[in-house]
Amino acid sequence: MIDIDDLHKRYGDKIALDGVSFSVKPGEMFGFVGANGAGKTTTMRILMGVLAADSGQVRRDGRALAFEDRRRFGYMPEERGLYQKMKVAEQVRYFGQLNGLSPKEAAKATGDLLERLALTGRAGDEVGALSLGNQQRVQLAVALVHDPEVLVLDEPFSGLDPIAVDALAEVLVERRTAGVPVLFSSHQLDLVERLCDSVGIISAGRMVASDTVEALRAREGRRLLKVVVRGAAPDWTTGLSGNITKNGDEVLFADANGSDQEILRAATAAGTVEHFGWERPTLTEIFREAVA
Amino acid sequence: MNGLWLVARREITTRGRTKGFVVGLVLSAVLVGALAVLPRLFSGPDSFTVGVVDSPALQSALAGVAKDAEVTAEPFADEAAARKAVLDGDVDAAVVDDRRTLADGEVDRELGALLESAHQAAQTQKQLAEAGLDPAKVSAAMRVTPLEQVSVGADTRYEDVRTGIAFLLVMVLFFLLLQPSMYVAMGVVEEKGSRIVEILLTSIRPWQLLGGKILGLGILALANLVVIIVAGLGAAVATGFSADLPPGMTGIVLGTLFWFLLGYAFFATMAAALSSLVSRQEEVSSVISPLTLLIMATYFVSYFAAVEPGSGVARILSLIPPFSTMVMPVRTAGGGVPFWEIGLAAALMAVATAAMLALGARVYERAVLRTGARVKLSEVVR
Ligand SMILES: Nc1ncnc2c1ncn2[C@@H]1O[C@H](COP(=O)(O)OP(=O)(O)OP(=O)(O)O)[C@@H](O)[C@H]1O
Ligand SMILES: [Mg+2]
Repeated sequence: MIDIDDLHKRYGDKIALDGVSFSVKPGEMFGFVGANGAGKTTTMRILMGVLAADSGQVRRDGRALAFEDRRRFGYMPEERGLYQKMKVAEQVRYFGQLNGLSPKEAAKATGDLLERLALTGRAGDEVGALSLGNQQRVQLAVALVHDPEVLVLDEPFSGLDPIAVDALAEVLVERRTAGVPVLFSSHQLDLVERLCDSVGIISAGRMVASDTVEALRAREGRRLLKVVVRGAAPDWTTGLSGNITKNGDEVLFADANGSDQEILRAATAAGTVEHFGWERPTLTEIFREAVA
Repeated sequence: MNGLWLVARREITTRGRTKGFVVGLVLSAVLVGALAVLPRLFSGPDSFTVGVVDSPALQSALAGVAKDAEVTAEPFADEAAARKAVLDGDVDAAVVDDRRTLADGEVDRELGALLESAHQAAQTQKQLAEAGLDPAKVSAAMRVTPLEQVSVGADTRYEDVRTGIAFLLVMVLFFLLLQPSMYVAMGVVEEKGSRIVEILLTSIRPWQLLGGKILGLGILALANLVVIIVAGLGAAVATGFSADLPPGMTGIVLGTLFWFLLGYAFFATMAAALSSLVSRQEEVSSVISPLTLLIMATYFVSYFAAVEPGSGVARILSLIPPFSTMVMPVRTAGGGVPFWEIGLAAALMAVATAAMLALGARVYERAVLRTGARVKLSEVVR
């Protein structure tokens, strides 16, 4: 269990973090989302110990994180860093060994990872000769090579093609299933929604939401009622209360919490009701609402 | 420890493969090898060919006087043939009728002296024999033990060679202190600028990263130095020049290695600390200018010490860190440096290096993760 507890950080007059707290449980995939400049990278750098917080603490299983703990973390910084002149496999192996793998273990782990990330053919190339997306895959291999106990990835999906996104998602799900807490930031909310068990939303250095995706949805006040009626007159909704959006036969009622039964009656009278149900808000909608 | 060695090994394998390093290695070895044999090439041959016309006595006397040099006598039928041979450069000089020496311009000074003493010996012997003395007794009387040279002052026999070695050392040490320090600076900024350092420092400690880099590049530079020394001494041996080398060469070589290691540790740490303040390669040369100036200053004072190894200024400079790293080996090559001075200089430099390591590691550790604008030294030293 990783606990981030009341982090504060300022750069001169600018407050970057203003009391950030959340937890990532073992076997949990945690999506960290927020607008540009909200404080995601700052939080993750403090978590990894490459930046010092002004106050607050990061703990693992109740103990303050030490260097030896972080050595067993897999980290992908926001600004990608690799030795441009070093060969792909050589580089991944090097980082594996720096993290305590024996040369043999490092070579095996490197071979497996490059295979999974479809980089085997580039193993002998200098990193600088690879396309940006492929360099990104090498960066991932570097973060994963030592079979980390915790994963902290800052925008790991940016710049990847759909195939690579799937490959990475698969690796992350596998790690999560093995009991590893996985924390990653992303601006691709559909991806976060698809993969994550929990989501933390940060806005201007404060956590505005942090919960399981289900709980966030349940908490979402603005509920949408979706009704599809075939063969109805276009004006069948006249007189019904609520904020109405029409799109062909499909009608969306916002703020319809009290009047749902009335709407159902009107719909049945108007034509053939093909669909009647509450829409689950998407993460994007939750996000918009939360940071508004 | 393992982390330190892994970093060092990476530096050795990646930097050692670069064109810059390989070219520097080959060039420096070739240059020093050439410089080691150059004085010999320019000092002229120690073997001469002399034409002789009708001077049999001189011919046999020549063999007696020429001990260090090799003189071959070549008989000619008449003066005209001898003249032609001199002009064509077939012989260095020719002696005619035991009276005249023919040369194209001036006779080589060493050869002239040889010919003169051979001529003296031959004529004396001949005239004594003509005066009726027993030739056997004459030649016995003529056998004189040459004067033995004993210096009561400083031993100046090897002065030129010592000065030559000192100049070579100045050049080699300058190159081998500056180049790897630049590599250290560039490597630090490469890691800082690309943020690799963020991943590295979650895996290993700053001292392992810094120490490994300095160690690895130091091993490369040390290898370069050894190659240079081997090339220089090898060239000297191959050309027969080694007989002219002064005694105590082992001490000079070991001393050079020792001073190089101290100096390298000092300058490389300084390079790492200064370069950790910036994030872009373009800023490296300006941020490490204090270091470059210091190495340049050390170079100039040691150049002076090579010219005047015995001067009081050279003595004082050879004690002051970091000048001592180059001035002391240069003075040692000049000979006659008391042991206590070497010991004192070494102790002072060791203290300075330890201080630089402590300070440099501190600066590096605090500055290397602060990417972006140039970090002020005053902010990280406190
Ligand atoms: N080195 C720095 N100096 C000054 N301000 C900084 C520095 N690093 C970050 N900040 C500020 O701290 C705030 C948080 O930045 P951070 O990089 O954590 O945002 P982020 O959520 O990762 O944004 P993005 O989605 O764009 O990556 C921003 O307002 C940023 O301007
Ligand atoms: Mg960021």
